[in-house]
Amino acid sequence: MRAVILSSIVFYCLTASYLAHAEHVVIVSANNTNNSLDKNTITRIFLGKASSFPDGSQAIPLDQNEGSASREAFNDQVLEKSASQLKAYWSRLIFTGKGTPPKESGSDSDVKSLIANNPNLLGYVDNSVVDDSVKVVYRFN
Amino acid sequence: MTLRLSAIALASLTLVPMAAADDLRINGFMNITAGHLSTDDISQDGYDDGIKFDQDTLVGLQMAKQVNSSTSATVQLISRGSQNFDTQASWAYLTYAASDNTDVRAGRLRTPFFYYSDFLEVGYAYHWVTPPSLVYRLDALSSINGVDISQRFTLGSTDGLIQLYSGRYQDDLTFVGDQYNVELKRAGGLVFSLSHNSLSGRISYHQADLTMDINPLNAGPNGRALDNLAAAATLAGVGKDFVADNDTVKFYQASLSYDNGTSVLIAEWTKLDQTTAAILDDSALLVSAARRINAFTLHLTYAQAEDATESGTVGSIQQLAEYKETSVIAGVRYDYDSSTALKLDIQHHDEELVNGQAGDSGLLYNLGMSLVF
Repeated sequence: MRAVILSSIVFYCLTASYLAHAEHVVIVSANNTNNSLDKNTITRIFLGKASSFPDGSQAIPLDQNEGSASREAFNDQVLEKSASQLKAYWSRLIFTGKGTPPKESGSDSDVKSLIANNPNLLGYVDNSVVDDSVKVVYRFN
Repeated sequence: MTLRLSAIALASLTLVPMAAADDLRINGFMNITAGHLSTDDISQDGYDDGIKFDQDTLVGLQMAKQVNSSTSATVQLISRGSQNFDTQASWAYLTYAASDNTDVRAGRLRTPFFYYSDFLEVGYAYHWVTPPSLVYRLDALSSINGVDISQRFTLGSTDGLIQLYSGRYQDDLTFVGDQYNVELKRAGGLVFSLSHNSLSGRISYHQADLTMDINPLNAGPNGRALDNLAAAATLAGVGKDFVADNDTVKFYQASLSYDNGTSVLIAEWTKLDQTTAAILDDSALLVSAARRINAFTLHLTYAQAEDATESGTVGSIQQLAEYKETSVIAGVRYDYDSSTALKLDIQHHDEELVNGQAGDSGLLYNLGMSLVF
């Protein structure tokens, strides 16, 4: 009995920590006046189709480095495109001068630090790095 | 003091604007292509019944530099195997961002004839080894020196683009296997495109006055095709129709594409209409379907091109150069990683009419690797 309870507690903790760990968020600086963004707006900014937040201020998206878990989750859940499809999408724009992909700006904590200091930036991070310096505007898994 | 320092640090962090990235951006692309024709009785894309690597192999390097907050300079250098890897500036232009949604470019630009024109040579951007050449023709007229203005707009969730360009061009260019001096004057056009979710449409119109150094006196057994045609026309008394001297060329294009991430459909129609009889009016279209399954994309394409001849004596001379061709292309693309794609296309090419005579059919095998970096 004790073993069962223990193992279910362990299971619960593992699951809880897994779920907590797996949650990702889209953030802006705490100084940014936008309180929430919808998926469509975020997608348009990240695909270079829009360059401002709903309040009209300039929006500059930041990518994480290739291979990061957050980037894979963001591509999959929010942009709904594979890394190859995104590369093909951007290669259609880069070589015509019609657009440049979001700047690769490091890891979860690098992106959070950059965004904290610039109200024009927008990025996605693992929920675990979120603090008072940034504001969550969208959640995904 | 500490406070002041950190304020400065904060200010400098905030002031280093990501957008005005001061650095030189370098991007590149490369296609390595091998091709083999099942028979020498047909000709397609410059391949023969041996294995040729150089025909569609190319490497491109693009350098872009933000000059100030609204102006950037871009150069795209391309070395093509089909031109002995001589390096050429296919694009070299300054972009002035007049507003968030308006760009003005000046310099050497790619003529935006087709849906894929802008990234015609970036193999990574599409599923074929090369876009079907029956439709993707007019290579000789593919660059222009001039200006264009692009206006982007949004209507609800529909994105639109209007592009207007104007310019001229003169160069020695290869046309149906022979070299000509080609001059385009008063060239200009309009592109209008709309995209809504997975669907996008594009229509365009292009016009130029074409002059080519066609001379019937240079005709002969080894003469250039258009010189020989002009000589035949001169004998028939219609020689004046078969030169190109400021003759208006018009080109129409319409395309519709659908891409929901797993399924892709593309249809494109084009028509060439001109006043010189030397180059035949034609129309060409393609329909292509593709399906992505994990890292694989399977695709099937039908393409056809048909010349139109005039009536009377002019028409009977034109029939000596008349073509009618169809192609069916089946292929697979494999995304090896997020910057490398491997591709295999098998094309059944049927030449119903070649220079007015019944032609043959055969298979073209193309194996390609496309990279972007």
